[in-house]
Amino acid sequence: MDAFIVFFTRYLPAFADGFLITTWVAALAAPAAMLWALVLIVPRLARWTWATGLVSAYVEIMRNSPLLVQMYLLYFGLPLVGIFWSSIACGVIAIALQHGAFLSEILRSGIQSLSQRQWEAGSAIGMRRSAVIRLVILPQAFIKVLPALGNQLIVLVKDTSLVSAIGVMDLTLTGKMTIERSGASFEAFIAVAAFYLVLTSALGLVLRVIEARAARRYG
Amino acid sequence: MFPVLQSNLPYLLQGAVYTVILSVIVVSCGTVLGVGVGVLAAVGGNILRSLITAYIFIFRGVPVLVVMFLGFYSFPAVGLRLDAYTAVAVSMIVYVGAFVAEATRGAIAAVAAGQTEAAKSLGMRKGMIMREIVLPQAMRLLIAPVLNIALMAIKQTSYASIVGAWELSFAAREVVERTLAAFQIFLGVMIIYFVICYPLSLAARALEKRLAFDH
Repeated sequence: MDAFIVFFTRYLPAFADGFLITTWVAALAAPAAMLWALVLIVPRLARWTWATGLVSAYVEIMRNSPLLVQMYLLYFGLPLVGIFWSSIACGVIAIALQHGAFLSEILRSGIQSLSQRQWEAGSAIGMRRSAVIRLVILPQAFIKVLPALGNQLIVLVKDTSLVSAIGVMDLTLTGKMTIERSGASFEAFIAVAAFYLVLTSALGLVLRVIEARAARRYG
Repeated sequence: MFPVLQSNLPYLLQGAVYTVILSVIVVSCGTVLGVGVGVLAAVGGNILRSLITAYIFIFRGVPVLVVMFLGFYSFPAVGLRLDAYTAVAVSMIVYVGAFVAEATRGAIAAVAAGQTEAAKSLGMRKGMIMREIVLPQAMRLLIAPVLNIALMAIKQTSYASIVGAWELSFAAREVVERTLAAFQIFLGVMIIYFVICYPLSLAARALEKRLAFDH
């Protein structure tokens, strides 16, 4: 235990840096994924048939293949066509591409769960389809799927650990580097796990407060 | 078309076999562990229950990659010499177990309270109620969530390559380092994963739909 404390205080600055990088990657990837999810549900809402088919094919491929391979595809593939993005950029984009697919599925299920009468009532008072979607459908669907969106967000934060595989110095890679430098073994990853636990449970608490508030106001 | 992918396909498929074996081990053992723990949480005392809650909370809040590294580095520290593949398998079983345990708890809670009360009024004991009434109904509710967890686990076996276990993703990286044909190989590997995962994904969705109609 003493050895653990000595080790921990000694390498705390490194872990703090890794923690910041992990938070940074998550903070970039989460809004990007949400935006991408909104773009992905546009074809369905606008009833562009072939684009809808294309989107569902994309969603299926993203949902049924590992994020790591998608990240490798960007990181090792893009330089071949002359695009040199940093590893953070590749990681963030890969996460946003996959989690956008998951989030769009969640939004879609929320929209489907709304009663057909919501659409009818909107058009009955003379709203255009776009206005019905913007003012009636999307807000309700969003409130309805808030818990599922929150869970996906926590999965996203955990998935940021994969950027360590393409060389971003996040918490996970910091753990590995510390082991190689200090000769410690599992202590480093207990510290890393603790940091992730703090991050995900803090996010979970914030999300629960938001959900409770939304339920009280709109539920 | 895709000459590099074609010539390396046998090698990649060999990796896919390892991925499938790892997935089967992890999902089956993880499910058994998780269901056992979930049932224990439902019948056990307060101390046991809070221990199980802690287990679920910790492992669900940490990335699987970190759990793999933790396993990989801590087994030698306690005197176990495991290769990367076994270390990853054991770590993933514990990780998947936490998710299945949570799903089991949810499924047991979802069996209507009226069922337990009816069984009690017939004079059945606690253990018997669990075994004869609650569990059979809970297991039905559990199939779809476990399929989804299995899907998650299969995709996560690819992270084993980061720790150093040889399977499909590891093989893919080897081939790409040798041939530099990143697009062909990684797209091909994505398709191989897709072929493994998609049937499960369809099954999970069909089951979810059927259960939704039941209620």
